[in-house]
Amino acid sequence: MSATTPTVRNRRRPWRRPENIVAVVFMTALLIYTVVPMLWMLSTSLKSQFAALQQPPQWIPEHLTFDQYRTLLSPYNDIGRDFLRYLVNSIWVSLASTVLGVAVAVPAAYAFSRFNFPGKNALFFSVLVRNMFPLVVFLIPLFILMRNLRLVDTHMSLIVTYLTFGLPLSIWLLKGFYDNIPPQLEQAARIDGATRFQAFWMIVMPLSSPGIIATAIYAFIQAWNEYVYALTFLNSDRLLTLPVGLQRFFAEYSTNWPGLMAASFIMSVPVVVLFLILQKHFVRALTEGAVKT
Amino acid sequence: MESPPLQAAPATILEEQANTAKRPGPFRNVTSHWADYMYILPALLVMLLVIGYPLVYTIYLSFFETPPSTGGRIFNGIDNYTTLLRSERFWRITRNTFHWTIWSTLFAFLIGFGAALVVQKQFIGRGVLRGILLIPWVISQVAAAYVWRWLYHSDYGLISGMLMEWGIMNERFIFLDSTRWVMPSLVIANIWKEFPFVMIMMLAGLQTVPDQLLRAARVDGANSINQFLHVTVPHLKNIIVVTVLLLLIANLNSFGLVWIMTGGGPAGASEIWIVSIYTTAFRNLQFGLASAFSVILFIFMMTLGYFYVRALTAGTSSQEFAR
Repeated sequence: MSATTPTVRNRRRPWRRPENIVAVVFMTALLIYTVVPMLWMLSTSLKSQFAALQQPPQWIPEHLTFDQYRTLLSPYNDIGRDFLRYLVNSIWVSLASTVLGVAVAVPAAYAFSRFNFPGKNALFFSVLVRNMFPLVVFLIPLFILMRNLRLVDTHMSLIVTYLTFGLPLSIWLLKGFYDNIPPQLEQAARIDGATRFQAFWMIVMPLSSPGIIATAIYAFIQAWNEYVYALTFLNSDRLLTLPVGLQRFFAEYSTNWPGLMAASFIMSVPVVVLFLILQKHFVRALTEGAVKT
Repeated sequence: MESPPLQAAPATILEEQANTAKRPGPFRNVTSHWADYMYILPALLVMLLVIGYPLVYTIYLSFFETPPSTGGRIFNGIDNYTTLLRSERFWRITRNTFHWTIWSTLFAFLIGFGAALVVQKQFIGRGVLRGILLIPWVISQVAAAYVWRWLYHSDYGLISGMLMEWGIMNERFIFLDSTRWVMPSLVIANIWKEFPFVMIMMLAGLQTVPDQLLRAARVDGANSINQFLHVTVPHLKNIIVVTVLLLLIANLNSFGLVWIMTGGGPAGASEIWIVSIYTTAFRNLQFGLASAFSVILFIFMMTLGYFYVRALTAGTSSQEFAR
């Protein structure tokens, strides 16, 4: 009886339970920790360069100004021209590596999900093992490889690298989706006279398109955010992608913090929006593999 | 996993029958499946080029001296390794790397797990909260690094400014320019970036804890702490191991944050392995030495990788695993 009494009381006032108080305190602290840097980025980007250096810091800018954004997004000044060029470079490299990567990953994932061929386990295993190397270890040899292929200082070097880096996880995610599509559907198509490829192309592909989109978005975000390889492979100013371009921007125009924050903000918007739209889908896809085992 | 008999009979109707008729020698098996390999061939080729070749080449290059002036290479055996292992700097960097990796992993895990436990509950605004908490993980390391560098700025930074404004400090606090505080400051920024990853993984894991188990424990008189320790945690053991290993690996390889915020300084106080490899190779142009460094890091990660694969496959037969 003594155990039920507090439960009944607690159900009426859930916030009285000690664990809930702890949860609320913890979550409030965590939320401050998470949100303050993001808000500070936004707030700084809306200040003038002078206001940004004021002490004590202004949480909300006294004089809101969109000058930084106007400068960055206008092709009629040096800063804006560079910034827009980096933006276009980033879009191109990320899109190309995503499209190619998914095109390569889809058949591979399908084969790993459906077929039974000698060496399958070993091959899938090697895909998995690669999954855990964020390939920075390969920076040097890849750089030398790209130099020998005369690809240093081209977007091609980045596209090839990103597409490869994305592959293992893409295959892993897509395999999960194919595993969830009943093979009976293809069997039915096969009985109706479709070839194995036709069954794959006409039955499985349309069904797995949500999975493909989630995978593609993941690959896109990875490519969009990548920094080390872009820093190493690219030299020419006109080829830089945003993450690297930002650094140059930072060095060249001394310490224009509002400009830098505005640029960081613009760089973050696409990935955050993409991510939030597909959040549920994406999170499920990403964790399915780890949880299933 | 849900329906093994059906899964075991995939679309290979005709091939399967044709195969059983013949003697299934290993070579015949491979040739009769040539069409299957075509599906994975593109992926395999790309990975061989971009992963296989560099791996072999790094090991090869680590046995050579590469004088930047001539661009040639001179075989020097294991000199690169002995130079590294004998230098005091290497061990200082290793100590930094361990501090960076272990503290980041520990706190990112605890905070992420805590967040997952809260967000898992039903309440109003849960989806919004989860979305907000995930943002640091999605944005680029570069943007994160600049924001934190700006927050920590010793003259105009928000944190220092607020500490003075609230009267907690009398003078400006030095974060990134102090050898004492640079590492903790970097770790705090790093945790900000990666605790959401833990939250996602643990959220997914928590959904697999059967309600009956928790209810049974409650009936047996377990309070919520006991339920958590004796039901939830054991059930999540596997995913906890996988998450921690992925964090360790990610932290060992983390470059952008440290590089942009401090570049390894001041006075090498925040120099970690990856940063040092980068400087050795691309600033000092000592590719051989940097390769040896990479191989050491690689061996280290292989060890972690061994446990990662073991954790992934634990409790699953290879059959199920390959499905």
